[in-house]
Amino acid sequence: MAHPSQLGFQDAASPVMEELLHFHDHALMIVFLISTLVLYIIVTMVVTKLTDKLILDSQEIEIIWTLLPAMILILIALPSLRILYLMDEINDPHLTIKAMGHQWYWSYEYTDYEDLGFDSYMIPTQDLTPGQFRLLEADHRMVIPVESPIRVLISADDVLHSWAVPCLGIKMDAVPGRLNQTAFITSRPGVFYGQCSEICGANHSFMPIVVEAVPLEHFENWSSMMLEDT
Amino acid sequence: MAGEEGAGQEKGFKLLGILDVQRTPCAKDAILHGAGGSVAAGMLFFLSTSRVRRTFDVGFAGFMLTTLGSWFYCRMNNAKLRVQQRVIQEGIRNKMIIMTCCCSHNIS
Repeated sequence: MAHPSQLGFQDAASPVMEELLHFHDHALMIVFLISTLVLYIIVTMVVTKLTDKLILDSQEIEIIWTLLPAMILILIALPSLRILYLMDEINDPHLTIKAMGHQWYWSYEYTDYEDLGFDSYMIPTQDLTPGQFRLLEADHRMVIPVESPIRVLISADDVLHSWAVPCLGIKMDAVPGRLNQTAFITSRPGVFYGQCSEICGANHSFMPIVVEAVPLEHFENWSSMMLEDT
Repeated sequence: MAGEEGAGQEKGFKLLGILDVQRTPCAKDAILHGAGGSVAAGMLFFLSTSRVRRTFDVGFAGFMLTTLGSWFYCRMNNAKLRVQQRVIQEGIRNKMIIMTCCCSHNIS
């Protein structure tokens, strides 16, 4: 999860997010070098005593500042497109979960084998126990088996919402009347937090998403327990 | 716990306010190699030509090229290591599964 005054990304919990982090580092290094170059050119321009009023053109520098940006763009575009297509790869999901956005909570349905559905409301601040995170905890978590491909079908019941979990590299709009699909694999067990990412009314900031990745046995026990409760 | 993590995050050093050299893999090495390459290229040029202004230009070009070269070399090695790590992890997992199956077979 995020920590106070964090500027960078959260640690990755899925292979796609790992790739996104690596691409971000790559792009940021290029941005840093370009910024350094521009800064150097500015300083050089300011301190130079060279003046030539008769410069009309220069083929060499024109070629350089045409080819160099083209190469830089290719250097950024190739990994970017690679990740773009990687994210859209067709995989064979082991589990399909439907996430529906409501004002102002999420509901999850596991309908592959049995009819399991539950609502996920934010735990109010006054009801938190020590160690829980303010505005992030939910009463029912979306539990998934770790290291299994999961497909999430996202929609909404009323207005636009967005189902986002930063450390999994997922953000997908929940649109009423439309079914959006995303898929992911969690690399490690843990609890991953996200928040609604599309303005949806007064309590838009108070409908968090909590995904809990557990070993398969624990997931089976949890689903049996949830079915008994419902 | 959150406070300790927060303290660790605050110690990151950002060049030009954007590049966190401590948290970004390969960044620190690339910048250090770039600085070294810049100094080396500039010194060599100055010693051979005694042109001050052009020395700075050559030094800067050396910085850019050395940083880029070191960066891509380190990233490529890291990528290869990651692939090896995944293969090893998969192998360990498969071995554990086979051992578990053998143990349960022996017990039965």
